Amino acid sequence: MEQPEFEITIAPDGKVRVHVTGVSGERCLEYADMIREIVGREESRDLTREYYAPDGSVRIGVQQQIHVREPPGV
Amino acid sequence: MSAVCVLTPVVIASWPAMSAAVVGVAGPLGFSVVPIATVRQRRQSGERVVTEIEGSEVLEEAMGEQEKIVIRRDDAEIEFSRDERGALRLCVTGKGSKAELDRLGREVAGRVVQQFAYHRLMTELKARDFGVVEEHVGADQSINVRVRLNR
Repeated sequence: MEQPEFEITIAPDGKVRVHVTGVSGERCLEYADMIREIVGREESRDLTREYYAPDGSVRIGVQQQIHVREPPGV
Repeated sequence: MSAVCVLTPVVIASWPAMSAAVVGVAGPLGFSVVPIATVRQRRQSGERVVTEIEGSEVLEEAMGEQEKIVIRRDDAEIEFSRDERGALRLCVTGKGSKAELDRLGREVAGRVVQQFAYHRLMTELKARDFGVVEEHVGADQSINVRVRLNR
């Protein structure tokens, strides 16, 4: 189960940096929007790899190798 | 690690909230709050620089006429007030040059914004059922907080 977490850094000049973790996909955007509503003007937003992970799904990678052997005597 | 956002706080608040932020930064910076009666009797001599917190707005309700708060330390005095446009204004007077006083004013203004942002975030996140996991002040005086949604 996802558990949203924010790592917040407020610089001495007042600039706020928030790292949204523990959620992926559209839920991440919702929390970023929520932070913007609370703080004020958003200067930048960078989406990281976890954002692009499908919500609640598992990725399975399949590799298949095919070996072709010549029959004996050919 | 989903997203990283950088934001500039929009400081819009009532005068009591602004005053509380000013009082909150005064002590750590070596300032003390000056009673208004004392301010009227004695004025800091030297250079004077006026600056403001960009984009700020002091809400007019619950604010008396000529409301101000003054903080002072050995080398400077800073008077906070609401200017004609409603912004939070700082008037810095002291012994240093104009450049030094301007730098001091910007430093104090930044710390006021920091205090304001911190209290606003903590209040709003707690109302949304987030709890503080970890909190500390960095060597560079940044405030670092980790919060998590309570389940």
